[in-house]
Amino acid sequence: MSVSDVDELDGPEQPEPPVLTPASTRELRGLMKDWRRGRATRNLGQALSDAYVAVIAALMIGAMTVNVILKAQRVVASCSTASCLSARALLPWAAVLAAVATALAVARLFGPVLASAAEGFWLLDAPISRSKLLRGRLVAALAVAFVGGALIGGLVALLTGSAGLESAVWAVATGLSAAAAVAAAAAQQGRERHRLSRVASFVFGLLGVVALLGVVGVAADRLTFSLTTDLGTEIGAAVAAFAVLVLLIGGLLAVSRLASIRRTRLVSGGSLVRGISGAFFALDIGLARDIVVQRRTMEIGHVKPRRGHGEGLQALTWREWQRLRRFPQPLVGWAGTLVVPYASEALGLSAVTPVFGALALFGAIVPMLNGLRVLTRTGGLARCLPFSMSQIKMAMVTAPAILAGVWAVLVAPAFVGVVGDGVHRPFGTAALMAVATAGAGLLAAIRWTQAKGVDFSKPMVSTQAGAVPPGLVTNLFRGFDVCLLATAPMLLGFSPLWSLAIEAITALVLFNSFDADSMRARQQDAQRQLDLQKRERESQATNAKQRKR
Amino acid sequence: MAKRATVLKVTGLRRAFGPNTIFDNFNLEVRAGEAIALTGRNGAGKSTLLRCLVGADRPDEGTIEVCGHPMSETDPQVRRDVATVIDDLDFFPDLSVVEHLDLLARAHGITDPDAQVDEVLEEVQLVPQSGQLPGTLSSGQRRRLALATAFVRPRRLLILDEPEQRLDVEGVGWLSRRLQAERAQGLAIIFASHEPTLVESVATRTVTLGAARG
Repeated sequence: MSVSDVDELDGPEQPEPPVLTPASTRELRGLMKDWRRGRATRNLGQALSDAYVAVIAALMIGAMTVNVILKAQRVVASCSTASCLSARALLPWAAVLAAVATALAVARLFGPVLASAAEGFWLLDAPISRSKLLRGRLVAALAVAFVGGALIGGLVALLTGSAGLESAVWAVATGLSAAAAVAAAAAQQGRERHRLSRVASFVFGLLGVVALLGVVGVAADRLTFSLTTDLGTEIGAAVAAFAVLVLLIGGLLAVSRLASIRRTRLVSGGSLVRGISGAFFALDIGLARDIVVQRRTMEIGHVKPRRGHGEGLQALTWREWQRLRRFPQPLVGWAGTLVVPYASEALGLSAVTPVFGALALFGAIVPMLNGLRVLTRTGGLARCLPFSMSQIKMAMVTAPAILAGVWAVLVAPAFVGVVGDGVHRPFGTAALMAVATAGAGLLAAIRWTQAKGVDFSKPMVSTQAGAVPPGLVTNLFRGFDVCLLATAPMLLGFSPLWSLAIEAITALVLFNSFDADSMRARQQDAQRQLDLQKRERESQATNAKQRKR
Repeated sequence: MAKRATVLKVTGLRRAFGPNTIFDNFNLEVRAGEAIALTGRNGAGKSTLLRCLVGADRPDEGTIEVCGHPMSETDPQVRRDVATVIDDLDFFPDLSVVEHLDLLARAHGITDPDAQVDEVLEEVQLVPQSGQLPGTLSSGQRRRLALATAFVRPRRLLILDEPEQRLDVEGVGWLSRRLQAERAQGLAIIFASHEPTLVESVATRTVTLGAARG
């Protein structure tokens, strides 16, 4: 049978499929831009004029920040000893290392190249060059890293008393280093490998801590090497030049591998951004953290189960220790914060050491309170446990509280004044200050962890910026408020006993807040019963009157 | 025959959202060994009623007593007596399936927690997933884990909101047998369900909420 026979047998000849010309990347981008901008009801100027309160507030806070920086710069610039100057010269290095470590960690978490779910569905399946489509995303990620790094580098350089040009050079150097780190992570993303960036993130983080230890050691005259601040600008420029080189190599590699990044990887980063931006829109930082934690645990997926120990509340506490053993990263952060009081004292910032120490410990303890977070964000799991909420909270914070206690012991020498030219305090006062600082950090972390999200169902508060749900703005300051309130007496030169008294009251409130809710509910119940009885009495009286008539 | 003890007593319960009254003057008494099925169309108030019963929502009027104690979600005694599976159950993101059950068994002071956990895990068919973290479970597996949290601990009253949700046919069959066994052991059960076979096989009484759709 010939080919033509087959054609005849199969029926009429099928028409050739039309040859379609796929849309170009530029056309699709233009279409998406049109969808987005075409649906906008206000332009940027109108939005800004509507948000004038926020703009004025930002200006005021900005002015205050600049004022604080200038004041701090004047204070720090007054140190003139060789050790102090060497310590100051080391700090921009610490900033560069910290910026690189952070940029690598964040880049690994999000992608760094990412796409939204809609783009993943509509565009990434289209027969277009994925590389061209994603190039803009890579540039955006690099730009964000550069700006973030530059802000950190510039701020640290300014706070260490550097001059304008030197600060600018260090800002650029730190920004370029962060951007280079993101470019390297993007190059890894194209190969679907993250091990190198994970190791690099750890190494740079460690080097950052070592640099901070160097600051302390030099300022305390425990280390003898001397660095000069005279060559700060030149050194900063050299760092920037090296970062540019890494950025170029990493960037070129990343661009050449853009087309090979899998869609699921791109979209998962986009969905993470969407979730986090939603949480930030409601100013719910706790929710943003929950999303990140959930994402990390989903990546891990499976663990080797460990048998629990003890019974009752002891079982809860034991599980917290096991959790720390399984995921010990928070302990690294906790160990890193031990440097803060020493560094602060070494730099002559004795007055603000309790504030810095408490804030650092606050940040380090939050990741240790995942269990408390789950038990307080919804009532479901706590309802399964045969304990009061206060008992559950006490059990869940036992492990972090012990670590805070150890922290207090280890930083007590800093408060005594063993480093730098700071204030020398009697041992008793220093020990109390260390305990009060640790307590402030711990309580701030507990307050932050058990903060409820904003309740949009409650009546709104009328403000000049429009209707705002109660607690929207104050949510941002949760935790920080405890840090500042508890350390305020020490900051103002009063006895640390005042701080401890404030912390005792704060602890009472924090550990009983759930039970306070329950007490309020009981009070409402009682009021409801009283109202019911009153209505019954009134109804009986009315009936009696009618009967008399 | 001696009258069985009252485990749950609901008197004059009322819940309204604005002008919408979900239920009014609702009365119910559940004795040990009884299983009450709440049925009714969507929005009839089954879940709202169960949320009030477990203390996750507050009724506008009326009283709830569990084993003679006024219902209070934060009361450890009530938490000891009442096992619940409603929609607000959360899991620790960094604890595996088996570790969740182990924690609950130990927290309730079970004498042989390992044996109890193994038995429940086997029953809910989550043995292969025992080391998985909850975020990686399918919705059906999460449901099984939620049910396991109720069965791994001691209880006198079981409150379940649509326990058959996301379970496969085999799973619904297992659930039905398990609830019958629980009832036979003297446990009081109150559950909302849209599954006629589950209601028929488990419930000793059926309470239909809300008016039928016109």
